[in-house]
Amino acid sequence: MAVLAERRPLGDNAKAWALNAPAMIVIALLVAYPIAYSFWVSLQKNNLKRPRAKEFIGFANYQALLSDHAFLSALKVSALFVVVVLGLTVVLALILALVLNEQFRGRGLLLSLALLPWAMPGVVNGLMWRTIFDAKTGALNGLLTQLGLIDEYHAWLTSGTGAFLFTALAQVWNTLPFSVIILLAGLSTIPSELYDAATVDRAGAVQRFVQVTLPWLLHPLLIVLILETMNAFRAFDTIYVLTGGGPGDATTTIALLDVQTVLTFTDFGLGSAYAWVITAITLLISVGYIGLLYRKGNFEV
Amino acid sequence: MSTLVKVPLRYRIPWKKIVLYVLAVAFALYLVLPFYWIVAMSFMHEVDAISVPPHWIPVHPTLENYLGFLHPNEAQQLVGGRAIDETPYSLRNSLIVATSTAILNLVLATFAAYSFSRLKFRGSQVLLMLYLLTRMVPGIAIIIPFYLLMRTFGLLDTYLALILSYTTFALPITIWILKDFFRSVPRELEEAARVDRCGWFRTMWSVFLPVAAPGLVAAAVFAFMTAWNEFMFALFLTSTKAAKTIPVVAANFATDFNTQFTVMASAGVLAVVPPLVLALLFQRKLVQGMAAGSVKG
Repeated sequence: MAVLAERRPLGDNAKAWALNAPAMIVIALLVAYPIAYSFWVSLQKNNLKRPRAKEFIGFANYQALLSDHAFLSALKVSALFVVVVLGLTVVLALILALVLNEQFRGRGLLLSLALLPWAMPGVVNGLMWRTIFDAKTGALNGLLTQLGLIDEYHAWLTSGTGAFLFTALAQVWNTLPFSVIILLAGLSTIPSELYDAATVDRAGAVQRFVQVTLPWLLHPLLIVLILETMNAFRAFDTIYVLTGGGPGDATTTIALLDVQTVLTFTDFGLGSAYAWVITAITLLISVGYIGLLYRKGNFEV
Repeated sequence: MSTLVKVPLRYRIPWKKIVLYVLAVAFALYLVLPFYWIVAMSFMHEVDAISVPPHWIPVHPTLENYLGFLHPNEAQQLVGGRAIDETPYSLRNSLIVATSTAILNLVLATFAAYSFSRLKFRGSQVLLMLYLLTRMVPGIAIIIPFYLLMRTFGLLDTYLALILSYTTFALPITIWILKDFFRSVPRELEEAARVDRCGWFRTMWSVFLPVAAPGLVAAAVFAFMTAWNEFMFALFLTSTKAAKTIPVVAANFATDFNTQFTVMASAGVLAVVPPLVLALLFQRKLVQGMAAGSVKG
């Protein structure tokens, strides 16, 4: 018996690593190697159209970023985009989750509807909102005119600020469901006794929300904040289709700039440097995320 | 018996109910109207779709936009002819790529997830964290090396390049979802099988996996949707109708200046239908998986 008990953990160890080997090989080959290689490329002058001019230039690409107007502008646009999208998403998702947490007729239907934007590919989301925001024939113009809110059709996407805000709105629609589901799951874990107790204490709805709901929702809210920050920071599909980064560079986020640099100008060196900045920022955020999961004990194995 | 009529002492306006229903209706409209608009447009003639004021309901419903993907008429060939021609191929490509990704993922993830749910081993926490961390790596950071790698192996514009990249995207999520589902499978089942002297593979295949089937399906659906919706890698890695996926072709419609809105809307609707149907069919499992893993990044 004693021998068996001693032997089993060892066997488990070997078996576990063998079971993980296929996934680990795939990830090492297709994620770890590329990401290391991309760092190597970011240290080069490397343009696909000028293969002979390829050379190692150390951190020159990164140094160039500091005075690169396109990059600095894109960084600013991305940061603003994160703030606007995140703010709207959290507020709307919280309200929708609170609604879905109640019992009422049609709740199931509303929950199904909430999955619709989640299932929609970002590209389709972009072209859908393009037809809606269109200056000459768009549904938004039509609706607002018929409601008497505007007198004539507006070109929503031609001003920089307008394009930015409407792109953010389109992005929010697409990412909302994910936050709703996480928050809803959080809400459903709140013991109803707490509400009963608060009601007995004659706490109003607002008080109940602040004193019972919010503290319980802190953890899911943090998860939503972190994951949606990451999402908004990398947002690409919807923006690419809706505005293509324009007008000017009003909606050119860092991800968009990177793709343009690589795809249009085939500047792989600079593009990799951009990508590494994005990676560094994302990794910082995700370290926070994983730390959070760890502390909350969601991470036990 | 006299009818018992409950007379409230004081009539109170049910504010909570009113607010709840107003919000519910507002959200329902917000969620469904944008999508309704492209669905409605996809059944309109172009003239009706771009009319001012807009027609909210197709006045002369037509299937010409959808049929155009098979046999484009002259007007359709003139505007956005290439994208129209590529649409049916891209749907086929997306279907093949997404299905293959789902299957490959399931195989790789099942092994890994089983180890996390059943075996105690050194480094398991670190490994699980590493899987999660790879999910956090932005696609844009690996796209250049990935492109060069695929070019070296002559895999540009092939299914394989897409399947491999999407597998790396979906694998961490799939492992996380499956490990949670696997934990809920009672251990006694496997122990009983072991008593019956079933080998490990036999136990897995005929006892464990059938019980874990719902989790496997949910994980497969996740992987399918990830692959179906992905755009950036497809944009880099594909160039012809041999491998272009539906998001790439749909984006072509949008970036083409003289595209007909109705055709664009129809392509959009076609691109949404498969993931939407899956999401609705597996609603409960997906919601569970999403909430449990919180890992769709």
